[in-house]
Amino acid sequence: MNSTILKVRNIGISAHIDAGKTTLTERILYYTKRIHAIHDVKGKDGVGATMDFMELEKERGITIASAATYCKWRNHEINIIDTPGHVDFTIEVERSLRVLDGAILVLCSVGGVQSQTITVDHQMARYNVPCIAFINKCDRIGADPFRVIKQLKNKLGHNAVAMQIPIGLEGNFSGIIDLVAMKAVYFEGDMGEDVRIENIPENLLPEAIQRREELIDTASIFSDELTEAALEDKITEDLLISAARKATLLRKMTPVFIGSAYKNKGIQPLLDAVTKLLPCPSEIENQAFDVDDDESSVILSNDLKKPLVALAFKLEDGQYGQLTFIRVYQGTLAKGSSILNVRTGKKAKVGRVTRIHADQMEDIDIIPAGYIGALFGIECASGDTFVSPGINLTMTSMYVPNPVISLAITPKDNKSEANVSKALNRFTKEDPTFKTSTNQETGETIISGMGELHLEVYVERMRREYNVEVITGMPRVAYRETISRRAEFNYTHKKQTGGAGQFGRVAGFMEPIAEEDFVFESKVVGGAIPTQFIPSCEKSFKKCLEKGPLMEFPVVGIKVVINDGSSHSVDSSDIAFKAAARGAFLEGYAKANPVIHEPIMRVVVETPTEFQGVVMGSLNKRRGMIDSAQDEGRLCVIEARVPLADMFGYSTALRSLTQGKAQFTMEFAAYKQVPQLIAEELAKKATEEKKSVA
Amino acid sequence: MLKKDLILRNSLRLIGQKTEDIPPEGGFGAVLARAGVGKTAFLVQLALNSQLSNKNVLHISLKDPTQKVSLWYEEVFRNIVAQYNINKTNHLWEAVLKHRFIMTFKVDGFSVPKLEERLTELTEQNIFSPHMVIIDGLPFDNSVHTSLPGLKILAENHGMHIWFAVHTHRHEEPGTGGIPTQLENVDDLFEVVILLQPKEGEIHLKVLKGRSLSSGYSELLLDPSSMLIKDKG
Repeated sequence: MNSTILKVRNIGISAHIDAGKTTLTERILYYTKRIHAIHDVKGKDGVGATMDFMELEKERGITIASAATYCKWRNHEINIIDTPGHVDFTIEVERSLRVLDGAILVLCSVGGVQSQTITVDHQMARYNVPCIAFINKCDRIGADPFRVIKQLKNKLGHNAVAMQIPIGLEGNFSGIIDLVAMKAVYFEGDMGEDVRIENIPENLLPEAIQRREELIDTASIFSDELTEAALEDKITEDLLISAARKATLLRKMTPVFIGSAYKNKGIQPLLDAVTKLLPCPSEIENQAFDVDDDESSVILSNDLKKPLVALAFKLEDGQYGQLTFIRVYQGTLAKGSSILNVRTGKKAKVGRVTRIHADQMEDIDIIPAGYIGALFGIECASGDTFVSPGINLTMTSMYVPNPVISLAITPKDNKSEANVSKALNRFTKEDPTFKTSTNQETGETIISGMGELHLEVYVERMRREYNVEVITGMPRVAYRETISRRAEFNYTHKKQTGGAGQFGRVAGFMEPIAEEDFVFESKVVGGAIPTQFIPSCEKSFKKCLEKGPLMEFPVVGIKVVINDGSSHSVDSSDIAFKAAARGAFLEGYAKANPVIHEPIMRVVVETPTEFQGVVMGSLNKRRGMIDSAQDEGRLCVIEARVPLADMFGYSTALRSLTQGKAQFTMEFAAYKQVPQLIAEELAKKATEEKKSVA
Repeated sequence: MLKKDLILRNSLRLIGQKTEDIPPEGGFGAVLARAGVGKTAFLVQLALNSQLSNKNVLHISLKDPTQKVSLWYEEVFRNIVAQYNINKTNHLWEAVLKHRFIMTFKVDGFSVPKLEERLTELTEQNIFSPHMVIIDGLPFDNSVHTSLPGLKILAENHGMHIWFAVHTHRHEEPGTGGIPTQLENVDDLFEVVILLQPKEGEIHLKVLKGRSLSSGYSELLLDPSSMLIKDKG
């Protein structure tokens, strides 16, 4: 870590699924001589790409966890984090973009701007990360980089401008034309490692000139010198790059590059672009908040002599303890130094400090400002700020989206419970979007995450890493019982067959109420029920609510009024009146037309307008009542009330209906009576369950 | 019983809403007033009245988001039940809610073909078939001449009637027959035109075009405090 800060680049590579991020990173590592052989993401050799080092990643051919590495190119040190494309693993993108200074947005030249492209674009915007775009797979049938540039403009609102144009496309894709240098670039050798520069082919010259004019027009808005030079026809490469860089750092322009990572074309110019157009750590303004001064804003400096300010952005619990990935923003983090966790207020001594390359570690002594490294043996959570003792600055953590899907899990055998616990504790610590809870009513362990794939991966990891098999199922819906009309009761509990007996009579009525779960009122006069036994009656009525007589769901919305009764001088007792109250409850309840209520969720779906019809249909099919549709131009927002019981699997259904372009949120709205058919199905299910238990 | 009570007690019956709709299927109605006088409140009452009669209402707003439109309904409903001292209205509200659908558009994003597409999506999938449509926020400028005929055909084809909120200005003099300038040249498309006029602290409803008031004439007012329609005197 001895480059000057100006020659350091911390970049992330983000995109929709299968755009080619990992393949691109593999080529980058190869051309920078970080690795000596290229392996395919899901190749026949079974080795897999360098950055997909988890077995599951190699088997499935997907990136699950973000992976960090570093390399050198043209005297620049480039730290790269390759991220997953599935929305299920969005936290990896979120935490990476939080700590990086620039990004490469990879797009497929056929698929263009896809659903996760939109998401990662939002994430880049959230953290103000300047980016360059790389339109990949130009060798594919249907490749059309200019259509993708249009999509970048129309769908993402980017001021996208081509920095290159292709020489041939699809099977004829053979190179690129650099519009800054106005030269043709070809990639030769077994792995495209030999870059050959030639004059632009005659037939492509007019197009190259036109596209270059567009580039100059766009970039000159950000540079008076370029404007002047353009008027005098004296544009230099440096001037053009300088203007493009300025615009890129301001996030006012997105330079677009093209290539095919798989066919080893276009990577070296992309690396050049990273060094020329993306920022170094000192060009990014990083903000912290002074806890001792009412959280006033403090701009951090890359000065190595200033007190340490660093952010832990990822944890991995491994065999050697917790590995904490950390980005240093100010000062240095040295081995053996003392650091303070601002959130917990606890000090820790820094033990082992490492630098990461995929799954390998290299021991180092310090992590200076502007760099990313990892620490062993420091207890903390993702998003914790570490500082030198004596200062109290904190940094904003990364945004953690709420889970959208839940599953109930049960260990296949009781012996596995401890391991399940261990696994869940570890996974929830490492991944803030993976949550676990216990349903108080049903006792089920519920896991929640960002998608079915997300939960599937964790279930599989439990099996592989903790030797635990779990059965997954739909979480139980928290139904309720209530009554729908007033009913009277008059119940006598009598046990007087010799010896100490029991006697108590409770009379009154019950009626439905909307505002509260349970109200008890005593209107007993003249000591019909002795005062000392009335609290027992109330307790017993309350106990009856825990498991309703209909289907053992909790009972809500009931008002019980007792207004009469009888007692016996010897045989009446708390126990007797508890039993009498219970009998009275059951009697009244049966006459009060009890019904089942189900939770209704307020579901809000945001979808491109073209899918509005299918989305409304999908909600309608799930017994949803659509309340409104708000047209926002390209997007529309549909609000509906849908029973929770019918929302299971909606995440997957919505994705498949809308090509992954729609998103939804869901929150509890109210309880409502279930339709008769559903009530009958529930009754049947309850009977079957009772039979199987018996 | 509760619903029936509210319908019968409703002052709207005095402008001919007892058994049949005004305007008829395929018909247009307009309520005109300056900003803030009560057009939306009036239209929401018309809507709630229809909903109480188990008729579907599609409320389209080109100026307010869905939450604000929804709040209008809640407030007017609350005022109505308070006026008639009705308690335990949860079931009534739920019953009324299922007959309402709110759609919002940006003004420049609204067009008749777009509305037709949205309507078709709703009706073909049996999600919602409106009987009454309210369009609030449509600018009644020169461009309205192109959209109104299309909306008329849409209304006829779907068997619904449409009420429009029309914004008037203080400085504008009405045209012939007292019809405000916004409806000049298009008033033949309208079966009912109602003007809300603030006068001496009250808001008068003036029927400029449409069925004559039933016998037992009395001019209607909009109560400024509750924004509910009431009889004068």
